[in-house]
Amino acid sequence: MGKIVFAGAMSHVLDPEYYDRACGAVGRQTVEAVMAEIARMGERLSARKPDALIVVADDHLNAFSFNAVPALCVRIGRDVQRMTQDHAEAFDKVLEHMPERYPLHEDLANAILEQGLEAGFDLALSWEAPVDHAFLSPVNTMHGARPIPPLVPIWVNCFVAPQPTARRCFAFGQHIARVVARSPWNVGIIATGGLSHFPELSLPRVGETDTVFDRKLIHWMERGEHEPLLELTTAELHKAGEHEFLNWMVLLGAVTPARADVRYFGELRRINMAAVEWSLP
Amino acid sequence: MEPSVSRYAVNSLLYRLKKEPDFRERFTADPAAALARLDLTEPERSAFIARDMRKINELGGYLHLVMSIPGLAAH
Repeated sequence: MGKIVFAGAMSHVLDPEYYDRACGAVGRQTVEAVMAEIARMGERLSARKPDALIVVADDHLNAFSFNAVPALCVRIGRDVQRMTQDHAEAFDKVLEHMPERYPLHEDLANAILEQGLEAGFDLALSWEAPVDHAFLSPVNTMHGARPIPPLVPIWVNCFVAPQPTARRCFAFGQHIARVVARSPWNVGIIATGGLSHFPELSLPRVGETDTVFDRKLIHWMERGEHEPLLELTTAELHKAGEHEFLNWMVLLGAVTPARADVRYFGELRRINMAAVEWSLP
Repeated sequence: MEPSVSRYAVNSLLYRLKKEPDFRERFTADPAAALARLDLTEPERSAFIARDMRKINELGGYLHLVMSIPGLAAH
């Protein structure tokens, strides 16, 4: 019987140069501190020898543009490529120097997809979509020079309205847990992004966060109280700059009612950085 | 929801500027000419010609595109 052997969630622009440019020395120090915690989380993940690592993250209008924007999408196939961007700017720059291809855990991805459709989740699938910093920055920070287990990338549409609901993301996470339990594999799962930043996706508001909202989310996660999180609306998340918490909702569904241990929370003008790990039975 | 038609025109243009280096080069050399055949409102066209990313964002341009187009990004 399969098992979720590791669960963690973390911010996903893990680039000291980016935060040095955006926020000065304090930006560099903060991201280096969260990266150190994420690297330690990666050591614990590796020690549990996972057969696969599910990564729940969002696209930043890189992989999916305007021909289709899936609410929930499972990447299938044998491997996935890193997004390429000429003359990369801002958060795209962190991808440079990362490995270009990553093996996938085809059987687990197919099981999540096929059993999902059977269970009433109208999931999208992709054989070709590349992954951006939301996937690869945490994965590479966690593993350093160690081998990366076969991945199962899953996208949640966090930004292009109308997004899936928090409740639906949580239900999809519960589905993932059932698939893993029926499988023969030990599986790690991470969700990435956040915490609060870029409220209302408004350029003049870049530099604002909502620490009160972040602490409220953390409070519920630490206590394993997931009911109030199911009530979060897309409008609330948009207003507070918590768009990417939808990724975390998938993870919460997969591990509920496990309690979160906050490994790092740091306030920064541009974004509040977090690294969280769940205590699993 | 925001008005989706206008959002589409602005964002598909932002996406091309990010992902198509040749189009970006033409736009950089002569923005008005590069946009001539595109179906944009006058405020949209003016904002792009002025490279006013703040205005483009106000008109529905997604923040992550506005912040990551090579050579044109708002920081």
